Amino acid sequence: MSEPLGRVVATERRPNTPHEFHFWTALDSPVGIGTIVRVDGSNPVNGQIPRVYGIVVEGFSYTDLQSPMHDVLGHDGSPGNAGFSITERAEIRLYSAAVLRQIPDEPLQPVPMGEVHLAEEDDVALALRMDSYLKEGAHTGIPVGVYRAGATDSTIYLDAEFLLGPEAAHLNISGMSGLATKTSAVEWLLSSVFTHFPESKGSIAAVCFNVKGPDLLFLDQPGRLDDRDIELYDKMGVAPRPFEKVQYFAPYTAKGFSLNTLRSNEALLHNVTPLTWGLREVLQYAEVLLNRDDIDAKADALIDFIKERVVDHVFEDRKYLSREHTVQSFGDLEEWFRDLLRGLENANSEAWRTHHIATIRKVRNRLSNISTRCAGLVTDSGTVSDLPFGSFEDRMVYVVDVATLEEDAQDLIFARVVSRLREHLERRDLGVKHLIVFVDELNKYAPTDGQDTYVRKMLLDLAERGRYLGLVLFSAQQFRSQVHRRVVGNSGTSLFGRMDADELATPGYAVLSPATRTKLATLEKGQLMVRHPHFTQPIFIRFPRPAVMQGRDGVERYPQGAETSLDVAIYRSLRSLDPSITLPWVQKFVALYDEAELLRARDATTLARPANVQAYFEAQFKRIVPTEAAMAAATASREDARAVRALPIDDPYGF
Amino acid sequence: MAALPGASAMELAAADGDPRGRSEEPPILATPNLIEGDEFRAIRVAPEREARLESGFTGFLDGAQEVRVVSHCDGIPIVWATVSAAVRVRQNRRLLAWQRHAPAVERRYYVPFRYLENARQSFRNDPRVVDTGRPDASGAIPSRHPAALLERAMQKVQQDREALEQTLADAWCGSESSALYIDGSITASMIASASSLAVGVIKSHRTLYAEGAAFRVVVGLTAGERSSVFRVSPRTRNPVASWYVRVRSASGRDALFGLVRVEAALTNDPTARSDEISRWIIAEGSPLALPDGRWDKMSYGIRDTEEFLRAIS
Repeated sequence: MSEPLGRVVATERRPNTPHEFHFWTALDSPVGIGTIVRVDGSNPVNGQIPRVYGIVVEGFSYTDLQSPMHDVLGHDGSPGNAGFSITERAEIRLYSAAVLRQIPDEPLQPVPMGEVHLAEEDDVALALRMDSYLKEGAHTGIPVGVYRAGATDSTIYLDAEFLLGPEAAHLNISGMSGLATKTSAVEWLLSSVFTHFPESKGSIAAVCFNVKGPDLLFLDQPGRLDDRDIELYDKMGVAPRPFEKVQYFAPYTAKGFSLNTLRSNEALLHNVTPLTWGLREVLQYAEVLLNRDDIDAKADALIDFIKERVVDHVFEDRKYLSREHTVQSFGDLEEWFRDLLRGLENANSEAWRTHHIATIRKVRNRLSNISTRCAGLVTDSGTVSDLPFGSFEDRMVYVVDVATLEEDAQDLIFARVVSRLREHLERRDLGVKHLIVFVDELNKYAPTDGQDTYVRKMLLDLAERGRYLGLVLFSAQQFRSQVHRRVVGNSGTSLFGRMDADELATPGYAVLSPATRTKLATLEKGQLMVRHPHFTQPIFIRFPRPAVMQGRDGVERYPQGAETSLDVAIYRSLRSLDPSITLPWVQKFVALYDEAELLRARDATTLARPANVQAYFEAQFKRIVPTEAAMAAATASREDARAVRALPIDDPYGF
Repeated sequence: MAALPGASAMELAAADGDPRGRSEEPPILATPNLIEGDEFRAIRVAPEREARLESGFTGFLDGAQEVRVVSHCDGIPIVWATVSAAVRVRQNRRLLAWQRHAPAVERRYYVPFRYLENARQSFRNDPRVVDTGRPDASGAIPSRHPAALLERAMQKVQQDREALEQTLADAWCGSESSALYIDGSITASMIASASSLAVGVIKSHRTLYAEGAAFRVVVGLTAGERSSVFRVSPRTRNPVASWYVRVRSASGRDALFGLVRVEAALTNDPTARSDEISRWIIAEGSPLALPDGRWDKMSYGIRDTEEFLRAIS
């Protein structure tokens, strides 16, 4: 039993209540804001001595001085004289604590007078009601950090049932930028979830959207940890290792040669997969890219018609079209529009199948524009390289790098990926039972005000219904007050790093005491305030640095690959699949085929990841590979070879 | 009160007049009996302003009394009083309770049984009841006048308080090795009055040892000055050396502002001893004892002791 560090006090002016009490301590006691304490009552209630657990939310210090003027007079107006006083004034440390739990729960009475003790590890578990989910055989605790006060060092667990569903779900992190809190906390928590997620609940994976800089691009590389971090990892039973299974996805740059990501160093490309979509994939989410001005009822009707009747069908209209069209890519669609408009002009007609020519021109303009606005992601050719929907792996992190993309492209990726995840989870065929989606900068995607965008609607839906599907949103932002309240309101668990004073002045933080808000404004790196459904009051914790390489270190150690020429870009892509491939071998093809053909062949090969990469790549050109003699000639004069056109193998005359 | 048939309870408000009051003597001037030098004079012991002095006091002794008239029986006041005394010691510039001797708190009724024929025997025999109707040391019996009875009760309460203080002072002198600052006179105790460890500091000046030329010297003392040392030897008490010290400047104030009278054991070198103790007392003037109304004369250690007694009694 620990020595008491304080005594409960109550006066008529400041009485104790069932939810708050006051106590004083010695001047040198280790109590501070956020300290968890235990009060041992002295009189039994229903035969049981009451125990009350509380967390310090406010502190007061004062002396017997009645007026500051008295101190001035006492030292003749000279502060230096104060140090010569042979006696210190009587001083008090008085604290207010919010009740975390009372045992017994009933009858709920005002906190009794009694001794105050620093809560020990067992007390912390009881105070935070963690005992209900840390039971032998029914352990659903996920360590989130360590609570420290005095000699107490206690692991704080979140309940998986309330963090990852189905009871409650979702997690939201707020904090100032640049203090290594939000991203670090999520990286650490993902490690903890992957380690401690109960077997009985099945498999789990994470999809992380890297929305800025290199934050999440080195999750598979070891980071720098010191002894204190290692201690925390040991205490919480998590191996201090980077993630073993990580897969990166990034679109190409606008030129299409190399991947548009800061993780483009050749040494790291083995687990980076291109993210490219074609017409079909984009049209499903055209609403994301087209604003309200774009899509009036007429345009909407034409887009629907194209989706239903034109794309992926053999389409003919003898009256207006010069030929049959099979539209499978943006290139095909452009051809279809051009043919149709020419036909209408020739026929001097202003409408086609009830669609006015102006509407057709508008829709053509908007849809064609998408491949330009989302260049690198949306391909004219229709090549699709996507996340492995249906074959997600347990404890795998899938990182989608959208950091360097235009806003439209980011929205499109976000909307489509999350929608597909949802569809697969509804059908129970994603490959894993639970999926965490991490989105940073939530105030950008789900702002409080502004237009009701597709992405925001989707995030609201995810926040409100995702937990029933096993789809859990981990979100982060600098200013919680600027995020739609239905998103943050549905987050069962909230983490707070150091906060901006202006943000703390917003109404959302009014429930916190002034001292707690002050502490929030001065939190160190690695400290968080946690709100969780089982905790009746916010708790302050420490968490270790993530065991993964930080983005800034990563880009220094693995500099971004420069935008290269076409031959080098293809060489790099293929070499990650087959290290025996050489640059001259690639250059043979570059000399003979045009850029679009080469990129199509590369995309097909990287998507298929065949056993025999060289044969597969070569097979993409099978019908148009030149004779050996022509190949040799082309190789001999490579500089001129770029002008040589591909020759059909069965047409040696080159017609 | 079943023990006193016919007694009527007092309205609390009526008893609120001076719950901590003490019996006061009439103000008088007395001639100082000099034991230092040939003339009564002012002697500077510290700078007038910004004196940065050390103090040899490590303990502070004070007593308190709380008196309430709780009932009247046939016009006779029934008094309930709490007397207490405590020593606070200074450690690392902070004041704490003295561990060697617990603070003393006693509560008693003060009843003149001479005028209460109906009082039950059990009440008369209760050790918590003091009979204030008995003759005093001079053989005087208080009249039936309620004010006289109340005055006699107050005297008895004061004696009880002084007895508690004396017990603690004697205990200190018998067990400690550093000086004790006592609020009030030390002449009542044979041990304290003869000990070099006890120093009494008197704030009230009902008896002013300043008859004749000494008066101008005493009222003219400036901050940091003391008077010559004189001998005080009350008739029924023990003799001590005494002198006046001006703790704070009285400029613009009444003549007794910041003036205290010090009592210490008689010594062969009164000059050195009174200089040293005077400097200690001036040093104890910081921090101020505000908001106590006697802050000009009171040391912070005594104020702290009073607050302590208020908390425990």
